[in-house]
Amino acid sequence: MKNVQYFLFSITFLLVTFSACTKDEVETAEHGQFSLNFDNMVGANELALTEETNNTFPYENEQGQTFNIQTLGYYISRIELTGPNGEYYEDEVTTGPMSEEVKGFYHILESDISTHLLTLDNVPTGTYNQVTFTLGVEADYVQQGATGGVLDPANGGWLWNWDAGYIGWAYEGRSPASPAVAGTFNPDNSVKAHIGGWKEITGNPAMTNNVKRITLDFPSSADVTEGGNPNAHIVMDLLEALDGHHQVDFSTTYAIHTPSAGVDIAHNLETAFRVDHIHL
Amino acid sequence: MLAKPTKNRHLITLIGCLYLIIHLTACQDDHLDKATSRYEFVAPSNFPAPTYTFYNNSITEEGFKLGRKIFFDPILSIDGSISCSSCHNQSLAFADNPLHPVSVGIDGLVGTRNAPGLANLAFNSEFFWDGGVTHLDFVPINAIESAVEMGEEIAAVVAKIKNDAEYPALFEAAFNTTEINMPLLMDALAQFMLLMVSDKSKYDAYLKGEETLTAQELKGLHLFNEKCESCHSGILFTNQGYFNNGIDSVFSDSGRANISANPLDIGKFKVPTLRNISVTAPYMHNAKFRTLEEVLNHYEHGLISSHSLAPSLVQANGDLGIPLSIEEKEAIIAFLETLTDYEFLNNALFFKE
Repeated sequence: MKNVQYFLFSITFLLVTFSACTKDEVETAEHGQFSLNFDNMVGANELALTEETNNTFPYENEQGQTFNIQTLGYYISRIELTGPNGEYYEDEVTTGPMSEEVKGFYHILESDISTHLLTLDNVPTGTYNQVTFTLGVEADYVQQGATGGVLDPANGGWLWNWDAGYIGWAYEGRSPASPAVAGTFNPDNSVKAHIGGWKEITGNPAMTNNVKRITLDFPSSADVTEGGNPNAHIVMDLLEALDGHHQVDFSTTYAIHTPSAGVDIAHNLETAFRVDHIHL
Repeated sequence: MLAKPTKNRHLITLIGCLYLIIHLTACQDDHLDKATSRYEFVAPSNFPAPTYTFYNNSITEEGFKLGRKIFFDPILSIDGSISCSSCHNQSLAFADNPLHPVSVGIDGLVGTRNAPGLANLAFNSEFFWDGGVTHLDFVPINAIESAVEMGEEIAAVVAKIKNDAEYPALFEAAFNTTEINMPLLMDALAQFMLLMVSDKSKYDAYLKGEETLTAQELKGLHLFNEKCESCHSGILFTNQGYFNNGIDSVFSDSGRANISANPLDIGKFKVPTLRNISVTAPYMHNAKFRTLEEVLNHYEHGLISSHSLAPSLVQANGDLGIPLSIEEKEAIIAFLETLTDYEFLNNALFFKE
């Protein structure tokens, strides 16, 4: 009887010790940092914001319509990195009312340079050659209800109230091609494109989900090492967003404030991002 | 001779103390149970599963009371004139005063739709007449930011609350953080609204076998099941769908199509619950009818044909409407009146403090 007890005790002791060892091993695996630098451009040109009253129009779309830019921004979420040998990193995504509970959502704003660089910590060391992210905020997160941090509209978050959800990508500017009819949404030649919409309803093809999952290949691979911090320089090309699969004509398309009106630009956005180069 | 009584006295004191301790503990337990249950969300057993995300916003006494204070506070509006309670009156099942067929906001501005009652919101998956909002947390923002309701920006509301003399301490007590933001504001309002469970009408008592319905009410119940139940279905008296019920053929308000972008949805609006319907006049999204008689007359002979009219309102022979005699309409109204939950209308839990 006593022997059995000793035996059980030893087994338990061994199991506990063994589990502890396995856990330690996981915790001591090597990790490094990896950064994503979002750079907004207009074709080959750097992108610069102007005041709403500015009557210079430095950019031109493929139809020859000139325009300027007052606002440009978007949400990036649920970032994943993958490598050729099975390397995998998944950015943690959590929601809650308190700002420190909200992780994995990034509001990239042209007007705020501090939002352009995202640093991902605890990336397992190894070689990476691909990044995947969501442009916008997916249904699962909208349906968590009121959320803090960059999703809080009292903190600059882009919440659409009447068709509750988040504006995933937005451009606001002016173009002489846009009608000079002052109205609630469109004063003086303005062009406003708010791309949102996350719902899907079976049997209703008009219900639009404009949230896009985008995968980009790196032009060269990046080695994540302990203490290193390689950087993927990602370009978002506004011309591609306006002229990619569908050409946006500012004389007819200048006030996009519903999911269905944003379908074409949302489609263009699928190919508006690219990893331009990797900094090691 | 002194020793024995002393010993006994000790024993009696000991027993007395034990009794007191047990009694006191028991009292505390009772008290705690009551306090917990009062602010705990309990879904009635015959209701569907709640849709609300209680896992990220569980109701506490402090959170509920904070939400109640905000509900009655015109701080939410730009000029401090309009609160949630301006259009949601408890004695009318949190619907609007009949003198306000559509919402009346800041500066006397009027909206375009009738403010619905608030009850059993934890079981709704979509809100507003067009279903544009899919989570209760996001509901109040529309009233706050509507130019004709509260006319205020949510960021400005949060700033006012941060600078208020009373709110910061109340937020900290409710959420155990010094952070004040839009989600916590909405969580507090949601906690207040989630406890608005209405399940104590005469009809509910009838279902439990505690009360009997009159012959007239029973006749109405059977007619209701035969003629109305396909849309006003289940224990919540709504299938939560969107239908055009023949109010008009020209639609100044596109209704569900605003959200779905589907032309077939133009003129469709959410099927409202019929719980407490006898106290929530006027009726329909545009407050077209003042009484339940007018509503039933509409369904009997007042329907206006249009491309999206609900098929269930067209008879097999192509005639529009639901055949109903005067007596049948009276019986249906008698039944609908059994859906009024007077305990809910008078529940002191929802009174302004």
